[in-house]
Amino acid sequence: MTVEDWATGAAIAGLPVPSEPDLARMRADRHRRLQQHLEIQGLDGLVLLGCSSVAYATGADAPGEDSGRAGLFRSVAVVVTGAAAPHLFTPYWDGATPELPADHLHGPLFPDLEDGIGELAEALGQLFAPGARLGVDEQTHPMLGALGRFQWTDARDVMGPAKLTKTPDEVSCIRAAQRITELAMDATRPTLRPGVRQTELSGTFLRRVFELGATANAIDPIWQVMEPTRAAGPWTSHGDLAYPTSSTDRILRAGDVIWVDAGISHHGYASDYGRTWLTSSGPHPSDRQVSQFRRWRSVVDAALDICKPGVTALELGRAAIAANDGVKPWIEHFYLAHGVGTDSAEMPLIGTDLGEAFDETLVMVPGMVVVFEPVIWDEGAAGYRSEDIVAITDDGWIPLSGTRYDPFEVGQ
Amino acid sequence: MNAGVMALEDTARVDFTRLRQERRRRLFDAMDAARLDAVVLGRSGNVRYASGARQLWRAGTFPFAPVCVVVRSTERVHLLSVWDEGIPPEIGHEDLYGMFWNPAHLLAALGTIPGLAASRRVGTDSLSPFFAQVLPTVVPTAELADASKALAGARATKTPDEIACITVAAALAEAGLSALEAALAPGVTERELLGVYDECVARLGAPTPPSESVAFATPRRGPVRFRNLVSGRPIGDDELVVLSPGALYAGYEGGLARTRASGATPPPGTAALADRCFRGLDALLAACQPGNTGSDLYKAWESTGEPEASVALAHGIGLGAEAPLIGFGRGVAASLDEGSVLSVQSWVTAEGTGGFLQRELVRVGADGPEVLTRGERSLS
Repeated sequence: MTVEDWATGAAIAGLPVPSEPDLARMRADRHRRLQQHLEIQGLDGLVLLGCSSVAYATGADAPGEDSGRAGLFRSVAVVVTGAAAPHLFTPYWDGATPELPADHLHGPLFPDLEDGIGELAEALGQLFAPGARLGVDEQTHPMLGALGRFQWTDARDVMGPAKLTKTPDEVSCIRAAQRITELAMDATRPTLRPGVRQTELSGTFLRRVFELGATANAIDPIWQVMEPTRAAGPWTSHGDLAYPTSSTDRILRAGDVIWVDAGISHHGYASDYGRTWLTSSGPHPSDRQVSQFRRWRSVVDAALDICKPGVTALELGRAAIAANDGVKPWIEHFYLAHGVGTDSAEMPLIGTDLGEAFDETLVMVPGMVVVFEPVIWDEGAAGYRSEDIVAITDDGWIPLSGTRYDPFEVGQ
Repeated sequence: MNAGVMALEDTARVDFTRLRQERRRRLFDAMDAARLDAVVLGRSGNVRYASGARQLWRAGTFPFAPVCVVVRSTERVHLLSVWDEGIPPEIGHEDLYGMFWNPAHLLAALGTIPGLAASRRVGTDSLSPFFAQVLPTVVPTAELADASKALAGARATKTPDEIACITVAAALAEAGLSALEAALAPGVTERELLGVYDECVARLGAPTPPSESVAFATPRRGPVRFRNLVSGRPIGDDELVVLSPGALYAGYEGGLARTRASGATPPPGTAALADRCFRGLDALLAACQPGNTGSDLYKAWESTGEPEASVALAHGIGLGAEAPLIGFGRGVAASLDEGSVLSVQSWVTAEGTGGFLQRELVRVGADGPEVLTRGERSLS
C-alpha cells in the first residue's frame, strides 16, 4: 500500500477514515470523549493550561511560541461536565473555532500572576460550585493559593484515556500534518550539501512548512550529525547514543550522516518526520549504509507484519528485537515506537522503561497511532534511523507517513 | 556592541562563564531570601537561568516536570539530561540525571541528588496534583513552597552580559524586520511573510522564534482588531501591515514592531494614525523610569487620550517574555526596577484606515529609558 491511497477502505470502529479531516466533527467527537471520561472519573470538570491539552479540548489554534511567552500569554480551557461546549479564555481570539458559542469565548486569564488569579477564581466560581471535583494539568503557585475551595485531581486520568485512540478525523489530521512536513522536507533535502549549516536547513524547512499551510512549528528541527562510533559522539549517562541534540550553526561536511527529526503542528496535531540523510553533492549510500537501511526496514516490517488490533506492545517489541538478531533496536532512553496526537510523543509508548509488564498490558486497538522509530547502530559506520507512522484500523493498519527514504530506496 | 551569533576568539561579545556565575549568585541570594534549601524547576526560562544549558527547543508550554534541581547547601545544579552536549562545564556528569518514562525511575534518580533529601523547604516553580503527591517521597521532611517568585525576582534585573544577549537578539529581530519589509508587497500573504521571517532568522543561526505572530494586515473597513494567526489571503495594495519580529539568542529575547503600508499609497488617515501611535509610545517610554510602577504606564497611556488598550502596554523581557505584565488591568503595582528590560508597545486603530503598532525594547536605566531596538519609525 502506498501513502497516496492511504485511507482507502480503512475503518476505525466501523467508521471510514476520510482522506481529509472534517475538523468540526473531529472537535465534537473529542468533546464527547472528554465528557465520557469525566463521567467515568466522577469529575465536575477540567481546567487545562498546557498547550496540547487546550488544543485537544477546544480545537483553538495559537501561534507557535517560546515557552516563556506561551506561559505568560496562555490560553486556558475549562470543560464543564455535562455542558455542550468548552470555555476558552485566550489572548488569541482569532484562533477560536467557528462553532464555539460567543459566550464561551473569553478574554485571557493569567494563572501565573498573583494579580491575575482573582479573575480565574471568579471565572471558575461562575462555572462550578464550591467543593467541585476538578481535573487540572498544571497548578501554578497563585492557583494553589487561591483555588482551595475546589477539590483538585490530575487531569491525566481524563486526558490520557481520551487521547489514547484517535477518531478517523484525527487520524486524517495527523496525515495532513505529516504531508505538509514531508513536502517541506522534499524541498530541504536537495540543499543538504557540504558547507551548509544546520540552521540553514532549518530556515529552508520552516519557510516551506508555513507556505504549505502549517498552523505552527513545534520543535527546533534536528539535523544531528551521527559520528561513526558511540565514543566519538557526546558522552551519555547510559553509554548509548545521545539523540536528539539541538541544532547549531554547525557547518556540515562531506560524508556526514544526518539523522533528521522535525515536527509541526497542524490544527493542534503533531507530525513527526524522521529520516537519515547523507551530506553530499550527489548522495549515494555505501553498501554498508544500504545494509543498515535494509535492516531498519526489516525491523519495522517485522513489527508491522504482526501489527493489528489485539497485539501487545510486548509482542511488537519482541518482533523488532528478533529481526535485529536479538539486539534491542532502539536507544536506551527511548522506545521502539510512540504515539502521536496533540502531543508529539504520547501513549502508546512501546519499549520504554515502563517495563515488559507494562508493555504486556498495552494492547493495540483501532484508532491508536504508532510512530515506529527503531535505530540500527553499526559501530564504526554510524547507523540508520527513520520513522514510519501507522494508524491501527479495524483489520490492521494504514500508513500515515510517506514511503520514500531518499537517498535510500526500498528494494535497494 | 558587536552584535553577532558566532564565537569570537577574544570573547569580545559575551562572557558566558561570567554570565552564568552571576545568574547562579543571584539565584542563591534569592533562595536565601526565600529560605529555600532547594528548588525544583520545570519552566524552560527558569531551567535556563539556573543551568545555562542549551536544551532542545520546543514550542509552547508543558506540564510541570522536575527538569532542574538546585541544592543550596552544595551549590550544585542538577539537570535532566542524558548527554553533556550543550551543558556548561560547571555541571558535571554526576550532576545529570536521565530521561525516564517511568516516574518511579525519575523519583529514584532525584533521590540520589546529594543534599536534596535533607532539605526542609523545597521550592517548585509550578506543580501538578501528580507531582504534589510524589515529590514528598523524594524530600520526605520538606515543606513544598513557591519558588516562582524567587526566580522572577532573581531574573528581574539584567546583568551587562544579559543585556548583551538581549541586544544580539534585538539585532536578529531587526534583520527579520528588514526581510519582512523587503518581502512586503501587494499580493503577498501573511503566511509567506512568516516563512520569509523564519528563514531569515534561521539562516542567521536563530531558528526558534519567540512568537510566530510576526505579520498581520489590518482591515481598511470595519472594526480593527489585533490578530495573532497568519492568513493565506493576498494582501491588497492599500493596507497597513504590522510587522513584529522577534528572535532568541542564548535564550534571551529581542523584538520590535513597525507598521508599513503594503503599497505605494498608504490608506487615508495613515499619517494621523501613525502620529497617535508614536505619541502613545513616546508617553509609555518616558514613563519607564526606575522607581515608577505599572500605574505610571497606565497613566501615561491615558494621558494621550487613547481608549483603554486592548493589548499589553508592556511586559518584562529576558529569557523570553517575563513578569511584570502591565496591561489587561494587571501590573498596576509592579515596580519598574533599574536594570530591568521591558517590551513596550503602542497599538492604535481607526476604522477606515486600519491599525498601527510600534514596539520597542527599553532598558530601565538609572538616568531614564534606554531604547535597545533600532528601526525606522517612518512608514517607508
